[in-house]
Amino acid sequence: MSDDRTANPALTRRGFLGGIARGLLGVGVAGVGVAAAGRVRAKDDLWQIDPFKCIQCGNCRTACVLEDSAVKCVHDFAMCGYCDLCTGFFHPEPNRLETGAENQLCPAGAIIRRFVEEPYFEYHIDELLCTGCGICVKGCTDYGNGSLYLQVRQDRCLNCNQCAIAAQCPSDAFMRVPADRPYVVKHLGRQKEGG
Amino acid sequence: MSSRRRVVLVAMALLAAAVCAADAWAIERFPPPDFYSGHQLPELDQRPLRLPPWMDRVHVAALATGLALSTWFSLRLRSRTAIRWLAVASLVYFGFYLGGCVCPIGSIQNVTLALADADYTLPVSVVFIFALPVVFALLFGRVFCSGVCPLGAIQDLVLIRPLRVPLWLQSVLGLVPFVYLGAAILMAATDSFFIVCRWDPFVGFFRLDGNLPVMILGGVLLIVSTFVGRPYCRFLCPYGALLGLCSRVAWKHVTITPDECVNCRLCEDACPFGAIRPATTEEDA
Ligand code: SF4
Ligand code: SF4
Ligand code: SF4
Ligand code: SF4
Ligand code: SF4
Repeated sequence: MSDDRTANPALTRRGFLGGIARGLLGVGVAGVGVAAAGRVRAKDDLWQIDPFKCIQCGNCRTACVLEDSAVKCVHDFAMCGYCDLCTGFFHPEPNRLETGAENQLCPAGAIIRRFVEEPYFEYHIDELLCTGCGICVKGCTDYGNGSLYLQVRQDRCLNCNQCAIAAQCPSDAFMRVPADRPYVVKHLGRQKEGG
Repeated sequence: MSSRRRVVLVAMALLAAAVCAADAWAIERFPPPDFYSGHQLPELDQRPLRLPPWMDRVHVAALATGLALSTWFSLRLRSRTAIRWLAVASLVYFGFYLGGCVCPIGSIQNVTLALADADYTLPVSVVFIFALPVVFALLFGRVFCSGVCPLGAIQDLVLIRPLRVPLWLQSVLGLVPFVYLGAAILMAATDSFFIVCRWDPFVGFFRLDGNLPVMILGGVLLIVSTFVGRPYCRFLCPYGALLGLCSRVAWKHVTITPDECVNCRLCEDACPFGAIRPATTEEDA
């Protein structure tokens, strides 16, 4: 297209200035590109909760972009004390240690109490019912072993560019984890990466 | 049973005090039992990712292909219909299937944060997602906006009868994206708050799920889109501002074919985005 304009000196000047501007912008963009390339990591990343920082504020239930939050409670059984009075499952002052709704802490009835052997019971989460409210987590963390904790369920999470819960988390518990290690296995200890 | 419970309660009381004092999470208050029935501890239930991790490479490839097609359709074929179908495909893939993220618009903030914060690194895919449309804009103009961006596509699809926005109003509103871009960069650099993502008006529609204020904003913008061409792209989108700068000095452009133009000036009215201005000579400019 430029060849049929070469006769017109004004347009050529314009083309010349355009060339300079293009060059400058190109250099600028290339600069940003190179700088960004220097800050790259090989793996894609995902949002996850650091259970050691989470204070179970309740935002995980409400702040997710999904109506039914992508955050659910998980149970790291290797940490569970199989406590006689499971403070994740029961009200602090239960009438009886039974599965009656009036004894249960979980407002959604999402914790399944399974008999293992006398006197131990095992607590499983029904994810279809769990809302990620963290109430059981608080009970278990404050008075039990802290084996119940909240995690972003990666099969549900849409991996928002900025997690809507992270923006509202009061304890800065949301972090980015590499895609090949998408969960925090709590009994293995504090996860180092993220931030 | 009851004696064990008493022990538990005493331990609870002691430990409740310890919780306030120290990092007690690591403490094993109740040692895991030895099961005489040989019960095995279940594993932590780790569900797989919604999309497999290698999918980010597919997204980048799809973006590059989309940009190449968009360039070809607009500069060579000069076919609006082809662009439109490409936009529909992008809307389905980048919008409804991928659920929006990560997109080039939002990636401005990731790149900013990576440059500003030593602890934050970028996945390779995000660098490509940020840079590819910019490179194409420097070469061929805003081919990303026309045929690949799902946010543009959804507004195009609902456009029924474009009104002409007066030139002065268009110039004033056209400054908003630059302000937004500046704000987004500042916020990402300082606070790691991603305002562009927080207020992405259409991502809620792509996911058919979203929070109310943003859905309302999206709904209003879609209604406005029926009679004003692409309001988000023209008067808000910060990435559009960036691409617009690049496109001004682009190497090749969509042009009015000078040999065939008879200067009827109908196109000035016809362009739904008010992009065609009355011709000026060098002296007026
Ligand atoms: S928002 Fe943060 S502190 Fe609150 S429950 Fe979620 S992770 Fe825990
Ligand atoms: S309180 Fe926690 S550690 Fe104790 S039994 Fe319940 S889940 Fe397990
Ligand atoms: S108490 Fe809340 S977080 Fe715990 S299982 Fe019930 S719904 Fe889920
Ligand atoms: S990244 Fe999005 S979908 Fe995932 S937990 Fe956060 S807000 Fe929910
Ligand atoms: S939230 Fe919207 S603007 Fe942000 S990365 Fe996702 S699609 Fe893009």
